[in-house]
Amino acid sequence: MPRKGNKSKKNIVLVSAILLFSLALMTLNAKQEKGTGFLDSVAGFILSPFQNFFTQTIQSVSDSINHHFLLVDVARENDQLKLEIQRLISEKNQLIERLASQKRLAKLMAYEDDWDKKIVVASVIGRDATQWSKVVVINKGTQNGIRDHLAVVTDAGVIGQVIHAGVNTSKVLLIIDGRSAVDALFQDNRVSGVVVGMGEDECKLKFVPNTADVKVGDTMLSSGLGGIFPKGLVIGKVSQVSRKKQGLFQEITLTPSSDFSRLEEVLVLLP
Amino acid sequence: MYYFSQALIAVFLFSAQTTWLEIFSFGGVTPDLILVWVVYCGVRYSRSSGIGAGIALGLAQDSLSGGLLGVNTLSKSLIAYFFSTLKNKFYVEGMIPIGIFLIVSSIFDGLVFYFSMGTILKGEVASSFLYQSLPIYSIYNALIGPFMFVVLDKIDDWLQPKMSNPYMGMRR
Repeated sequence: MPRKGNKSKKNIVLVSAILLFSLALMTLNAKQEKGTGFLDSVAGFILSPFQNFFTQTIQSVSDSINHHFLLVDVARENDQLKLEIQRLISEKNQLIERLASQKRLAKLMAYEDDWDKKIVVASVIGRDATQWSKVVVINKGTQNGIRDHLAVVTDAGVIGQVIHAGVNTSKVLLIIDGRSAVDALFQDNRVSGVVVGMGEDECKLKFVPNTADVKVGDTMLSSGLGGIFPKGLVIGKVSQVSRKKQGLFQEITLTPSSDFSRLEEVLVLLP
Repeated sequence: MYYFSQALIAVFLFSAQTTWLEIFSFGGVTPDLILVWVVYCGVRYSRSSGIGAGIALGLAQDSLSGGLLGVNTLSKSLIAYFFSTLKNKFYVEGMIPIGIFLIVSSIFDGLVFYFSMGTILKGEVASSFLYQSLPIYSIYNALIGPFMFVVLDKIDDWLQPKMSNPYMGMRR
């Protein structure tokens, strides 16, 4: 009997120790963002060569299958045309945005060209080690000028922000993650809202008043508020709108313009 | 030798989890190789080794994710603790018991994330998480788990005779 009592005491102590340790970690991490930097950097440093190796291997195998064994020229041409279409759509959106800005502000101030910023091209070498966070790892870090809270984009639009810059690698929190929030506005009617991730392929658009005229297909741009994302970057298009009689705000679902399952190269916008 | 080989397995599993496993994603969900390995350690190794592995793997997973540090440490170490404690009370051989263990662990792992996201991080979780993503995740882990158990058993059996110190062999 006393042995059984000892055993259950041991169990209680063990479970309490696990709970205390984990909760202490969570509290520390939640209170000070920098707390996990060391662990992140060490883990990233150890794993990044392997991630690079795996990613490059998969890339070359995938390229071989796509470009050599199947339709060599057609696949290549198709890739190029898709890139060209993405570039043209992006350029068109930029031009529309620039034109609108010019019209509003021409008499007040000189237009500040957001696209003159320095950029760093980085490759995605890994994804989050857990199932639920939407984070990718890129192969550039502080030695390339990257630091926390910089905007990360592709030619299709915004993908997220840097949340931890290590020496050689950085973690990017995607806009579809549940912790992400980006201040945004509609390209056409200039109504603002906040794009919030849901941990899935789509985002929610919050705080858009019921009175605003929003249609499926409307384009959402970053508003420039918040200091991370420059104004006028494409975030996505409205895919679903519903208005409730009781609520103040509409329920809007947004499909991001970037395909997060096929991220390969990204651009980090330096300040 | 033993610990070195375990570190190699960890590096391989983490590399796979963070790179090419995405290819096998179903409904945006991929299996969690680390979770399967934690359950394996809990079931196959001695109690202290199982719990130690759970804490170490959870901490490593937290460090390699963009989430809150401690969430995976909590879930993985508790999963390892429960299975290392309960393994003597249940029959743990065969695909069905292992599959059930993995379903239970996956649901627990997902719920720890769900509550930490809702309470500590105040983040958004899609309403479909509980009835879509979590069941797919559990079933996926339960399907892939028994095969991983077979592979890990083979690796362990191959390593056992090669260890210089027989007491380092942690299989119960």
